[in-house]
Amino acid sequence: MTVSDVLFLAICLITLVAAWRVVVSAKVMHAALWLGLTFFGVAAVFLMLSADFVAAAQVLVYVGAITVLLIFGIMLSEGTEGTPRGSERSSLGRKVAPVGAAAGFAALMVYLYHQAGLRQPPPAEVATDTPRAIGTLLFSDFVIPFEVASLVLLVGMVGAIVLAMREEG
Amino acid sequence: MQLPLTYVLSFSALLFGIGLYGALTLQNAIRILMCIEIMLNAVNVNLIAFSRYLSPLQPAGQAFVIFVMTVAAAEVAVGLAIILMIARRRDTIDIDRMNLLKW
Repeated sequence: MTVSDVLFLAICLITLVAAWRVVVSAKVMHAALWLGLTFFGVAAVFLMLSADFVAAAQVLVYVGAITVLLIFGIMLSEGTEGTPRGSERSSLGRKVAPVGAAAGFAALMVYLYHQAGLRQPPPAEVATDTPRAIGTLLFSDFVIPFEVASLVLLVGMVGAIVLAMREEG
Repeated sequence: MQLPLTYVLSFSALLFGIGLYGALTLQNAIRILMCIEIMLNAVNVNLIAFSRYLSPLQPAGQAFVIFVMTVAAAEVAVGLAIILMIARRRDTIDIDRMNLLKW
């Protein structure tokens, strides 16, 4: 184990704890802040996998935009949260089924990954000029998906404005 | 870094499991949206990891992550707009009480 391996495992641990706090923390606003830490942790994982451009985009888009958007949503819908009711949720199936689905999925995937025997360390040589490589890919091989993605963003923006607009005479 | 690919993939599977558990159990619609974001991030980790370990000189996986981020941003914007509209009209964002179409 090298120093960077220990660092990587520490980042993984922090990210998983933060993600768990998103699910279990009592206040929605705290969950949003833990979600920001989760996004930062994932960005650090990207950085350790030498995907520096994607790590920067992750911080800008997820931490900068999506977390702030969610916090706005929480503040605009405050007071409508409602009290969590225990009675209808307390049946055994509704408690066991989500745990079984999530834990079963994670355990199955970890088991399959270990069975697959992907044991080799990462290759030493790696693309260092990732923004140039990604840009070249986006404008050569992936130019049609790139244009479609811009259309999706435009439609999403217009749709969000139309949906959130107050309808008044 | 000398860790084999299995460790990165296992981390991503655990992150996805946490997000899946939250999306299935929580009642607040905004928190379900957060858990969906966690699941999308776990998928992105997988894409980056395969790109790093299997084709390090041709980062097509990283280009694909950019697309996933684009779709995620559009999804959050539209999802939050829908949730805010429901909060205004029905005065709740508890998904258990959004049962107008439920038989």
